[in-house]
Amino acid sequence: MEFAGILDYAVGFVVMAGIYSVLALGLNVQWGFTGLFNIGIAGFFALGAYTSALLTGPPPQGQFEDFVFGGDWAQTGGLGLGIDLWFFLGIGAAMLVCAAVALVIGYVTLRLNDDYLAIATLGIAESVRLFFLNEKWAANGSRGLYNIPQFLEGWIAPDKYDYLYVVVVLGVLAVLFLAMQQAVRSPWGRVLRAIREDEVAAEASGKDVSKFKLQAFVLGAVIMGVGGALYAHNIRFLSPQTFDPLLATFIIWAMLMVGGSGNNVGAVLGAFVVWGIWTGTQFMPGVFKDPNFRFFMIGALIVGVMLLRPGGILGESRRTARGRTAAARPPETGDGG
Amino acid sequence: MGSSVANTEPILKVRDLVKDFGGLRAVDHCTLDVYPGRITGLIGPNGAGKTTLFNLISGALAPTGGRVFFQSRGSGPMTDITGMAMHRTFGLGLVRTFQIPREMKRMTVLENLMLVPAGQRGERIWASWFTPWRVARQEREIEARALEALGFVKLSHLADELAANISTGQKKLLELARTLMSEPKLVLLDEPTAGVNRTLMAQLSLSIHLASAQRGVTFLIIDHDMDVLMSLCDPVIVMANGAVISQGTPSQVQADPQVIDAYLGGRQPVGQPGGNLGVA
Repeated sequence: MEFAGILDYAVGFVVMAGIYSVLALGLNVQWGFTGLFNIGIAGFFALGAYTSALLTGPPPQGQFEDFVFGGDWAQTGGLGLGIDLWFFLGIGAAMLVCAAVALVIGYVTLRLNDDYLAIATLGIAESVRLFFLNEKWAANGSRGLYNIPQFLEGWIAPDKYDYLYVVVVLGVLAVLFLAMQQAVRSPWGRVLRAIREDEVAAEASGKDVSKFKLQAFVLGAVIMGVGGALYAHNIRFLSPQTFDPLLATFIIWAMLMVGGSGNNVGAVLGAFVVWGIWTGTQFMPGVFKDPNFRFFMIGALIVGVMLLRPGGILGESRRTARGRTAAARPPETGDGG
Repeated sequence: MGSSVANTEPILKVRDLVKDFGGLRAVDHCTLDVYPGRITGLIGPNGAGKTTLFNLISGALAPTGGRVFFQSRGSGPMTDITGMAMHRTFGLGLVRTFQIPREMKRMTVLENLMLVPAGQRGERIWASWFTPWRVARQEREIEARALEALGFVKLSHLADELAANISTGQKKLLELARTLMSEPKLVLLDEPTAGVNRTLMAQLSLSIHLASAQRGVTFLIIDHDMDVLMSLCDPVIVMANGAVISQGTPSQVQADPQVIDAYLGGRQPVGQPGGNLGVA
C-alpha cells in the first residue's frame, strides 16, 4: 500500500476507534466508577443508532423497504441555517430515547446486585435487538436500514469522507471526555466511587444510593446512545446483526478492562488498542484471520492484562489531598492490617 | 434507672422493638433510652441482638414490630424514625459505624471523609459542569474540615493513603472521624475497639471522650472491652436474648447477678418477652 492508502486506512480506523471510545466512556461511568454490571451495552448502542437513523433518514422507498417512519430530517430538518443541524438533532434525540429507556430500566433493575443486574441488562439488550429483527414495521427487520444520511455530505469527495467525519467524531469524543473527567472528579463522582466500593457504607454516609446509581446508569446509557448515533451516520447501514453481543457489548468490555476501568484515559486507550487488534488481525495470513481466532486474540489479551496488570494498562488514577495524582494500586487482599 | 442519668429528655427512645429473622427472634421487645451528652455502653453476650438493634435504629433493617424515636431538633416532639432509610436517619444527625470497618478501599483516607458532608453542591452533576468554581470553593472548605477531623483522630499523616492500605485500628479511627464529619447528634459505634492494639485503643478512647466533652456528641457504644466501658461509658445497658436485662453504672451492672448469669450461662431464660427484667 502506498502512503495515501495507509493514511486512508488510518483515518477510517480512528473514526471507528473514536466511536468505540465514546461507548467505552459510557460503560466507564456505569462500571468503572459506579460498579454497575451492565452487559447490555448493545441495547443502548442500538437504540441510539436506530433513533438517529430513523429520524434523519428518508422514508421507505421501493418494494424492499417497509417501515413505519422515516423522519427525513436530513432533507427537511436543517432549519434553514445552511448547516447540517439535523445531525445534532439526531444525536440529541438518540440521547433522549436512551435516557428515557435507561430511566425505566434502571428504576426497575438497579435494586438488583451484580450478576442479577448483568442478566437483566443482557436480556434487555437482546430484547431490543430481537425487537428490531422481528418487528419489521419498526425498522425494516433483518433487511436493515440503508441510505442513512451523513453529516455535511457533499462537502468532501465521498471516498475521502472519513477525513471530515474523523474531525466530528474526535470533537464529540473530546467534549464527552472533558465532561466525564469533570464529573467523576467532582463530589458527584466521589459518591459514585463510594457506592462502587461499598454501597451500605455510602448509605451510612448519608448518600441516597439508589438516586446516584440511577443517575450513573442513565448518563452512561445516554453516552452509549451518542456512540450509536455516531456509528449509524458513519456506516450508513444498520441491521440487527450489527448489535450482536460480541461486537456491540463484549468488545467494549474488553476495551475498558484492557485500558483501565475507572480511568477515562484508559477507556479511550483501551478502545484504540482493542480495535487495533481486532481490525489489524484481519490482515494476518491463513487461519489467523478467521474471526474466531481474532476473538481468541482479544480474549488472550484480556487474560494477559488481567494477570500482569489487574487494573488495566493505566489503572485507576487517584487524586490526593493537594491535587497531585498517583496511580492507584488495586487494594491488597484482606484488611491490609 | 442508673443513678447517674440526669432528668433530661432522652435523645433516643426505643420502644418494644422486635426483629424476626424467619423463626429466629433476634430482638425481642427491646426498650431503652439514650440520654444526650452521654456515652452509653451497650454490652451483652454474643448473639444478644446488639448489632441487630443498631441496624434497626439506623435504618439498615426494618423492624418486625415496635418503634424508634429520635430527638433531631434538640427539644420538642421526637421524630418517629422507625424503618426510615439509613441515608435519611443520617440526615437527621444519627450516624453509625460498622463492627467490621467499611472503608472505601480504593479511595484515599481524605476522600473517605470528604465524601460525608451532606448536600454538597458538587453532588449535583450540573453544578460540577456549569459552576465548577463554586464547587471548588466548597471543596476547599470540606477538605479543611476533613483534615481537621483527621487531625482529631491523629491520622493526618495518612491523608493521601488509600484506605485499603491502613491498619484495622486506623480504619476504626477513620470510621470515628467519618461520623464526626457529619456533625452528628448521636453516634452508634459498633465495637470500635475490637481488633485494635492497646496504643491505638487509648487513642480511640480519648477521641471518643473528647468528641463527647468538647463537641457534645452523644454516643451509644457496643463493646466487649471492660477497660473501655469502665473508663468511658456511663450508663451501661446490658442485653441478652434480644432484650434489655440490666442497666446502670458500670460497677452496678457488673455486680448484677442477672448479668453474670447471662454471660456465664446460669439460669435460663434471662429475658422474658415484653419485659425489661432487672431494670433498677
